[in-house]
Amino acid sequence: MLSREIRREFAAIVGQERLRTSQEDLLTYAYDAYVKEYIPDAVLFPKSTVEVSRLMKVASAHQIPVTPRGAGSGLGGGSLAKRGGVVLCFTMMNQILEINTANRYAIVEPGVVISEFQKEVEKLNLFYPPDPGSATVATMGGSVSMNAGGLRGVKYGVTRDYLMGLEIVLPSGEVMNAGSITAKDVTGYDLTRLICGSEGTLALVTKIIVRLLPKPKARRTLQAIYDHIDDAGNTVAKIIAAGVIPASLELMDRMIIKALEDFAHLGLPLDAEAVLLIDVDGDLEAVEKQAKMVAEFCKSQGARDVRVSQSEKDNEQLWMARRSAFGAVARMRPTCVIEDATVPVSYLTSAIKKVMEISEGNRVQIAVLAHAGDGNLHPLVLCDQRDKEEMERVEKAMDEIVDYAMSVGGTLSGEHGIGIAKAKYLPRQLSGTALEMMRAIKKTFDPQGILNPGSFLEHGRDR
Amino acid sequence: MIAKKIREEVYSCIKCGLCLTPCPVYKQLYFEAASPRGKVQLIKNIFEGRLEPSENFHRLLFTCLLCETCTVNCPSGLKIDRLMKAMRAELVEKFGLPWQKRVLFNLLVSNRLLPFFLFWGRILGKTFFSLISKSGKVGTIPYAKLPQLNPKSLRDQYPEVLTVAEPKGKVLYFTGCATNYLFEEVGHAVIDVLQHLGVEVIIPREQMCCALPIFLAGARKMALKNIEKNLELFNREDVDTVIVDCATCGAALKKEYAHILEEMGESAEAARALGRKVLDISQYLLRFELEEFLQPIRVRVTYHDPCHLLRSQRVKEEPRSLLKRIPGMEFVEMAEADVCCGGGGAFQWEHPDIASGISRGKIKSIRETKASFVASGCPGCRLQIYGNLGDEPIRVVHPVELLAKALR
Repeated sequence: MLSREIRREFAAIVGQERLRTSQEDLLTYAYDAYVKEYIPDAVLFPKSTVEVSRLMKVASAHQIPVTPRGAGSGLGGGSLAKRGGVVLCFTMMNQILEINTANRYAIVEPGVVISEFQKEVEKLNLFYPPDPGSATVATMGGSVSMNAGGLRGVKYGVTRDYLMGLEIVLPSGEVMNAGSITAKDVTGYDLTRLICGSEGTLALVTKIIVRLLPKPKARRTLQAIYDHIDDAGNTVAKIIAAGVIPASLELMDRMIIKALEDFAHLGLPLDAEAVLLIDVDGDLEAVEKQAKMVAEFCKSQGARDVRVSQSEKDNEQLWMARRSAFGAVARMRPTCVIEDATVPVSYLTSAIKKVMEISEGNRVQIAVLAHAGDGNLHPLVLCDQRDKEEMERVEKAMDEIVDYAMSVGGTLSGEHGIGIAKAKYLPRQLSGTALEMMRAIKKTFDPQGILNPGSFLEHGRDR
Repeated sequence: MIAKKIREEVYSCIKCGLCLTPCPVYKQLYFEAASPRGKVQLIKNIFEGRLEPSENFHRLLFTCLLCETCTVNCPSGLKIDRLMKAMRAELVEKFGLPWQKRVLFNLLVSNRLLPFFLFWGRILGKTFFSLISKSGKVGTIPYAKLPQLNPKSLRDQYPEVLTVAEPKGKVLYFTGCATNYLFEEVGHAVIDVLQHLGVEVIIPREQMCCALPIFLAGARKMALKNIEKNLELFNREDVDTVIVDCATCGAALKKEYAHILEEMGESAEAARALGRKVLDISQYLLRFELEEFLQPIRVRVTYHDPCHLLRSQRVKEEPRSLLKRIPGMEFVEMAEADVCCGGGGAFQWEHPDIASGISRGKIKSIRETKASFVASGCPGCRLQIYGNLGDEPIRVVHPVELLAKALR
């Protein structure tokens, strides 16, 4: 509980309206898209850097834990107040400050929703590629803190690849700039990219400068249906090895096909083992050439059916399947836990088969979606959170998936982050020295340890 | 007690948050308890005994347009709107209704009180409004932009059965309160077009308010009498089609009646049977070759999707194709035509600030089309859009009014 004195100090900065402490407010800031919940003591909604800075001065003076949050669509509990204190929610600080067409960059506040920002830049024929599945809800600030990836990772990379600079507020309340608006910048350590993906443990991001690309002139979508999952996997390998870089390369397994057919009736064959959805983009001529080439790869690897879109509208139709996939699967059971272990792309097929084996071995329903082009698996684990015994089996299946990813040189998390969901696995991938180094960095930014306490860095320490 | 089937819904929420940004109310307020996900989680907390249904929760639950945008966007297929509606009904037991709603609903459930009130309303209304401040508003709508009451209710202007020689069809017409008492021009247009097409129209005289405003405010028991009466009148064996010109009445007759009866543990058989017979007027008219009856009218028209038509009834293309069939008419799609106008029945009166914020976006989209007519098959949207437009010469009409205008 915050004392009345402290609440008064916070209210003096943001006003009563943006300091929320009702039970209804606290309960609705206790969760994100992960299963665990932690109730904060208050929720604050700053609207400017000055306000953030003043709030942090109060918080650090009284050693109050502060956990930054965007839309709360994270999958790992990263934005939850694990040690109580206040949640600093950026949804009301949501202006696009500048879109600079001459130098192709934009400056936004952290609460801007990713897809809304994308829409705005596309009106000016520009392009902001990072495209996490939650883009219609997730904020730019959240995306920076978690270094979000998404469907276009295979060609365009992730959030970090588009970051040029940040304005941050340190836990002490000091405002600091990192990076710049220039295309190149090697001045000192790259603090911008260090903060990106730090899960809100180092500083509060108050302005974000991102690089923009010219909008690709054309895009074509291919849908290839396979009788054998190996053939789909081989196609992926073949495409990547041939030097074609698709804009997206998505795989859906048999269970997803079945769920899609049950729910959306898209006309996918139920006896197929896998569907690949492939986007190529760029200049029209190049795109058509690539689409043809990719279609041939698919056929040569045994695809039973390949469809190539002829227009933007066709693209959308083919993407319907992928866009509905998560929903179709999620409605099969009450709870759906989304894994995101990632393997080197050449291990994709074996990884998917391994997941299926784990699914059977533990009697846990798992459907597999994958950003196949970057080896990023999304096993969707279906369960009912209320069933303790089932959840234990789910936990075990997840452990085994992580074991496998580690054994082939993969990573714990491709794009969702560690948060508390995967904290226990952290020592599997990071050496003691690496962890100590990270903690030392944290200490430099946040000597009092008030920013997002209970984060991945503290796992195994005091709980 | 909320039906088990509806209670279970809370456990299907995976808290992904995909309902946040599409929610018009959340986009005005930007805090979680105002969002669908927030409300679902609060309801879950109440079910599990961690939260008392407080005054604050009550307020939050009614800070919702019931536009159903969350329901259609939910990847897990939660029937969020049904959960909210059921919860509202629970809370009415505890908190009661505000007096204004009590008065209004008592009028709407009575076939005697309403005509009496309207009679005096017509006589005294003008005097009343001339006495009070001209700049005043009902919610977001200025007094000057409120519609006049029909001089005579629509149903009093027509015989119960409008026969035609060699009928090409036969329908029961559910007129709804808005057409009957406020927008008679819509009713005239509907009847005019149907008669032109050679359709026999039967307007059951005893029909009552669809009661949707009543049961969506939570007062389900109060609505039962209306529901039963309407079921009895419109489930006639001899006519297999019921037409509605109001999105809200359509939603009530097509599905809400069945939902609430079922949730209240009553038999929903008759309601489901009626639901299968009901068509929005735009759906019904598409069965006819309209072209031969129409002459060109040269106007620019845009279309706004009423929540109760688009999301409750999944009627999207029909009104548009109706408009596109009118020769000479230039149809322009507005940006975000499917976003709620901010009306939400009593919502705009209870939350004028939020409503006008939402309406601003709608008005902007309308202006960008440079259309002189906004077509929309919902009297609520009509009130809200017209009430929030400036002084520009843009008219808000029912699509069928334009069709009637184009009749040869």
